[in-house]
Amino acid sequence: MSIALRGIGKRFGEFAAVKDIDLDVPTGALIALLGPSGCGKTTLLRIIAGLETPDEGHVLFDGRDATLWPIRDRKVGFVFQHYALFRHMSVFENVAFGLKVKPRRERPASKQIRSKVQSLLDLVQLGWAGDRYPAQLSGGQRQRVALARALAVDPDVLLLDEPFGALDSQVRHELRRWLRRLHDELHFTSIFVTHDQQEAIEVADTIVVLNRGRIEQFGVPSEVYDVPTSAFVHRFLGQVNELPVQLRGGRAYLGPIDISDSTGLGSVTDSAGGGEAHIALIRPHEIEVGAAASGWPAVVVAVRVIGPIVRLELCADGQPTNEPLEAEISRERYEGERFVVGQKVGLRFRRWQVYPTNGAAA
Amino acid sequence: MAAAETRTTGRSPALARALLIGMALLFLGLFLVLPLLTVFVQGLAKGVSAYAAAILDPTAWASVKLTLLVAAIAVPFNLVFGVAAAWAIAKFEFRGKSTLITLIDLPFAVSPVIAGLVFILLFGSHGWFGEYLKMHHIRVVFAVPGIVLATIFVTFPFIARELIPVMQAQGKDDEETALSLGASGWQTFWRVTLPNIRWGLMYGVLLCNARAMGEFGAVSVVSGHIRGLTNTMPLHVEILYNEYNYAAAFAVASLLALLALLTLAGKSFLEWRQPELRHTARPGRDRTRREIT
Repeated sequence: MSIALRGIGKRFGEFAAVKDIDLDVPTGALIALLGPSGCGKTTLLRIIAGLETPDEGHVLFDGRDATLWPIRDRKVGFVFQHYALFRHMSVFENVAFGLKVKPRRERPASKQIRSKVQSLLDLVQLGWAGDRYPAQLSGGQRQRVALARALAVDPDVLLLDEPFGALDSQVRHELRRWLRRLHDELHFTSIFVTHDQQEAIEVADTIVVLNRGRIEQFGVPSEVYDVPTSAFVHRFLGQVNELPVQLRGGRAYLGPIDISDSTGLGSVTDSAGGGEAHIALIRPHEIEVGAAASGWPAVVVAVRVIGPIVRLELCADGQPTNEPLEAEISRERYEGERFVVGQKVGLRFRRWQVYPTNGAAA
Repeated sequence: MAAAETRTTGRSPALARALLIGMALLFLGLFLVLPLLTVFVQGLAKGVSAYAAAILDPTAWASVKLTLLVAAIAVPFNLVFGVAAAWAIAKFEFRGKSTLITLIDLPFAVSPVIAGLVFILLFGSHGWFGEYLKMHHIRVVFAVPGIVLATIFVTFPFIARELIPVMQAQGKDDEETALSLGASGWQTFWRVTLPNIRWGLMYGVLLCNARAMGEFGAVSVVSGHIRGLTNTMPLHVEILYNEYNYAAAFAVASLLALLALLTLAGKSFLEWRQPELRHTARPGRDRTRREIT
């Protein structure tokens, strides 16, 4: 089922949770609503589910106006961060719930219910846990029960509110991959909310970045990551180095130093062209660390080996010493070149982006 | 050095524990167990036959029946009201919510005597509805309806008060999940909400029942003390006592105390049978446990 939002707005008292949201979710998509807490992502998900009614705008399901449909008519599966398993019911009863509450003429025979629940439990790799109670399961297992329960009623849309937020990182990683596989197998439309950019990039086909109740950017993960349209998105999706720069004649100056040589200024955006004070954002892995004469002179002040990558802290000429730049290089390169603290290097930026300072404050 | 330290830190809590337990037991014995025992001892002071005679006295029996009748009406009434009020307060946002919470507490705040007087003012022969009631030959004050009304008023908060924190802590996730799975509101209530609150509800009902049977002040004002007709057990005890009929007074009192003890025993039995569920009925605890695992 495809979902479309048209001009959705919702206020809680004085606070506008979401404003003027337009979004199209094609059938079978797996979309992440990404943003910091309070950005309106959960509100938006709840509006789609029918748990909240928008003050403005329309929710369309397959082109039909579903804005006022009650949740039970929407055929959505909703998964909560804290699982919301019925604790007085066994795992089996939990998964069977949606089937057992159907009106008598639609309700499958108990034998069919049993086999369907069992196959769902097998699907979530919990075939053995039917008699257990939620309190006897781990967090990851509970969330899988919650997913099986949501899938039992054959929803057209699966909505997940921070589904892995309460789990530890190992389990979270496993469940993400598992969710992705499940989605690819079953082809339902899924929307999940997360504040974890890693999770969004890893799982989703499309990322919707939300900030202060509005959509900041919408696109495939690599595009949103590589070509952010605002300083907010740039900062939110991964690490950045921030350099206050002045633009003069299409070149970027840090104080008196012209740093634009290192790139040829390929990515100074048009909107950034006119003003004076700007901010340049550069991701750590896009700083090229070379020989002393090869670029902006800098000194290595710290080296940290983090598994496959090595993070160098660099104090560049003209930069305050308490705000070193961070660069990331591969472990292999580090093994070859052995940067040491105190070494003089030259920096070039492979890709960087300049934003007006006022925009950067957002 | 380390050993000495452990010994001191080990000894003083033990001492403090013994002291605190001793104090608690002493106070319990002095102020609760001893008076309660006295009730039974006094009741049986003139022998078992006198005790039986006092209890089997028709007016005494009438008071027992009236007490049970009043509780049987007031408790279900407040059960329905308490669940509805707690549901509204815990699951919805609306204007005047805090006022409603305060109003629910009102019967705790005002003296029961005032509660009784209110009903006299409303339904008494000179009260607001007095004329109307007289015309239609309906007796409220100095009759069973008045006693029931006063009891309902006084026991109003018990169930709602017990349920509100339970329901607030549980939040709306379970209900919203049930709805998203296609359950109707009614199914959601019976299959999800009610099982989640059942222990809090049971508690509230027991407390409400204990108070409904034991209420004196408000009932005393509206009852009119008509022997064999509008006397509940607490009122009957007082009358017997005022007539210097101590043995009978204490006999009926012991029966009332026995009903209260039965209520408490019922509560303990429920807790003993379902210790696990008693815990899971409090999701505050459950949630912290979930986050740890």
